[in-house]
Amino acid sequence: MTRVKICGLMEEQHVKAASQADAIGFVFAPSKRRVSIERAQELSRLANNDMQRIGVFVNASYEEIENAVKAVPLTMVQLHGDEPDELIQRIEVPVIQAFSIRTPDDVEKLNNSIADYILVDAPGTDYRGGSGHVFDWSLLENVALDHSRLILAGGLNRDNVQAAISQTAPFMVDVSSGVETDGRKDEVKIQQFILQAKGDSMERTQEKTIDPVGFFGRYGGQFVPETLMKAVKELEAAYEDAKNDAEFQKEYHHYLKEYVGREQPLTFAARMTEAWGGPKIYLKREDLNHTGAHKVNNAIGQALLAQRMGKRKIVAETGAGQHGVATATICALFDLDCVVFMGEEDIKRQQLNVFRMKLLGARVESVTKGSGTLKDAVNEALRYWVTNVEDTHYLIGSALGPHPFPTMVRDFQSVIGKETKRQILEKEGRLPDAIVACVGGGSNAIGMFHPFIEDASVRLIGAEAAGDGVDTERHAATLTKGSEGVLHGAMMKILQDDAGQVQEAHSISAGLDYPGIGPEHAHLADNGRVTYEAITDDEALASVIEMSRLEGIIPALESAHAIAEAKKQAQSMTADELLVICVSGRGDKDMATYAEKLEGLS
Amino acid sequence: MKRLAELKQAGHKAFVAYIMAGDGGIEKLGEQIQYLQERGVTAIEVGIPFSDPVADGPTIEAAGNRALAEGITLEKVLDEMQRFDFEVKVPLVIMTYLNPVIRFGAERFTQEAKKAGASGIIIPDLPFEHRQLIEPFAKQQELVLIQLVTLTTIDSRLEEILKQAEGFVYAVTVTGITGSRDELAEEVGAFTRKVRELSPVPVYAGFGISKESHVDMLRDDVDGFIVGSAIVQAFHEDRIEDLEPLIDAVTAPHSV
Ligand SMILES: Cc1ncc(COP(=O)(O)O)c(C=O)c1O
Repeated sequence: MTRVKICGLMEEQHVKAASQADAIGFVFAPSKRRVSIERAQELSRLANNDMQRIGVFVNASYEEIENAVKAVPLTMVQLHGDEPDELIQRIEVPVIQAFSIRTPDDVEKLNNSIADYILVDAPGTDYRGGSGHVFDWSLLENVALDHSRLILAGGLNRDNVQAAISQTAPFMVDVSSGVETDGRKDEVKIQQFILQAKGDSMERTQEKTIDPVGFFGRYGGQFVPETLMKAVKELEAAYEDAKNDAEFQKEYHHYLKEYVGREQPLTFAARMTEAWGGPKIYLKREDLNHTGAHKVNNAIGQALLAQRMGKRKIVAETGAGQHGVATATICALFDLDCVVFMGEEDIKRQQLNVFRMKLLGARVESVTKGSGTLKDAVNEALRYWVTNVEDTHYLIGSALGPHPFPTMVRDFQSVIGKETKRQILEKEGRLPDAIVACVGGGSNAIGMFHPFIEDASVRLIGAEAAGDGVDTERHAATLTKGSEGVLHGAMMKILQDDAGQVQEAHSISAGLDYPGIGPEHAHLADNGRVTYEAITDDEALASVIEMSRLEGIIPALESAHAIAEAKKQAQSMTADELLVICVSGRGDKDMATYAEKLEGLS
Repeated sequence: MKRLAELKQAGHKAFVAYIMAGDGGIEKLGEQIQYLQERGVTAIEVGIPFSDPVADGPTIEAAGNRALAEGITLEKVLDEMQRFDFEVKVPLVIMTYLNPVIRFGAERFTQEAKKAGASGIIIPDLPFEHRQLIEPFAKQQELVLIQLVTLTTIDSRLEEILKQAEGFVYAVTVTGITGSRDELAEEVGAFTRKVRELSPVPVYAGFGISKESHVDMLRDDVDGFIVGSAIVQAFHEDRIEDLEPLIDAVTAPHSV
């Protein structure tokens, strides 16, 4: 299948839009698309690992080229000048040599190139990197040419790329201006170009992974120590079985109704609608659940499953303490043993929830390692599980971890989206135009989004935590700033340094203070079905005040990120549109933070 | 790695030492390897520090954090190994979590590891199912990807894993994380016997091994021992001599 290269990238969002391509190109030669090595480095970090990173040069010195190859690092070099063969020979990575084609004689030159690949383009007009013009493809048709070396460029766009491929059968197609609007790359055009070039073989290439079970595209899997493999396999089988067992489902829904108090309303927010002056705003009220957040939906499901597997001991991690409280609550209800690992820093900022867990009879273990937040709590919970795996279930609190956790947690949280869908149809007779939910590990968001994934008219937006700002060191914006990596049992997106060390996240909201995002979200970000935006601490706090005063609902800090993002979305929406916000939890647990941060509030 | 099979044939037990690369500074790496090979260890596992080592207990985690504080990365370790100016006489095995490898690039990692003189790789969070991510590249470089088996590995899976085993098999002797233990569970002997019967390559016991009593208990049921936390801690506290009796207890010819 023909590979795709998106060339001349300069901005983050365009690198991300190109995530289904095979190669991205950075132009180091003088051009309006020129980037510095540092900029290419930054952009390259956002690309998936097996993406080819190609540097474009015109008559650069060997030193300049090697320097860029090492620094970015580049996996291929593309040369557009009159580079001598000696230079091409010296370059360690594969080399692409570019040629302009006008006449059949020009085609001859291609076969003499010693480069690994030959790129053909129409003669340049604006600069030597590429012309943006189509040349006569038929020139390539009846000549002896190794098409497995051929890269086709020059004036390609989403409308002509299929024809170009069928006529010239190249190894790769290369596009730059054809995916731009007014001289700037365009995310939609990039994605459409890739789709056109790859056709329906797309789905198959996404499943490059060895064992597609438990993968969302390239993300997911079961990356755990061997000691845990038996437990994750048993869980996989037990969940498969339970999912299809009507009795199990009945019991789960029984507790959701009688104990949690579902279904939760989809409240029309009249004053927010008026204040924002845009779409009609509806609030999905997960804050009304027993224990105060959506976490309990999952805790019940998994606790029932654990018992079904004969396990009466539960270990969990918690960030904001909402998942810890939900787990402690359910363990009290079902008389299960409960240990909760919680970062020292989170224990400080979520005192109330710590006390609730203890009151409910759980053992709360303080984790002092690392930044003393959610990531460290997950590490300790995993170590505890490795040590006690024979009789203990790990009740993970978000759509994270080794398969089947991300799928299972999503399924248990999907009650949010299913109810919402039914309710909005009852109230408005149609689906919403946009839905916003906050993402930490991603459980409330995936639960809300999943039932709407196939409804193309519904825009789905995840709000992640920008902390002090995505351009500072202190944030938890995994999808804005992160890259592919393996953490806590799954391939997902994580915040990491160049050596693959996971970085600490920062957010005022303990529940979003995590340097990873579950595998399904990572996949939905890549394929563009969900967009993710980052909200700062200050924006979230402002939304806490706004919603409290306009609707009499004090949201959790996590949920406030969704509200702040919704407000931004509302700016560009009209009065006849519908916007749903997932209010994942209530603010009781955050009262100490609110009192401190909003001091002097009048 | 062939040497390990020969050792087994000759009836000798192997002693594999684990060290944390860069604990105490990168210059310690060469010193420690030289010391250990002079002291007669059979092979050395070179540990790469990682921010989230969930298979490790407090000793190795702390050593990793010290190494990270020194700025140690996978790349720096491989570079340092390529610069060794002494003869490496024992097989070196790189032990690293998966993420640094993925970040570095699996193919590039195996190439550099080969240049660094490594014979094998152990990745504790890369299960057998996902070995395709690394194994094809390792094969190209003739590096063996060492598999771990544990007390919780069910029989059918154990057979699968052992069928493909190369180099040696890492038999994890505790249900838990790394770190010295006072005692090993009774069932460990039966487990290692079972593994050894099925394994085409030598079987080494690791995790928790720190005392001569552990060696005595398992001597007849394994082909060697892997000692990590005890060595890492002894190097850190500058008292590696304390471990000499343990090394001798394993490697000395033993009358049956
Ligand atoms: C109220 C609330 N919302 C959201 C989250 C974030 O988690 P997730 O992304 O899994 O929904 C948390 C986590 O603690 C929470 O307590």
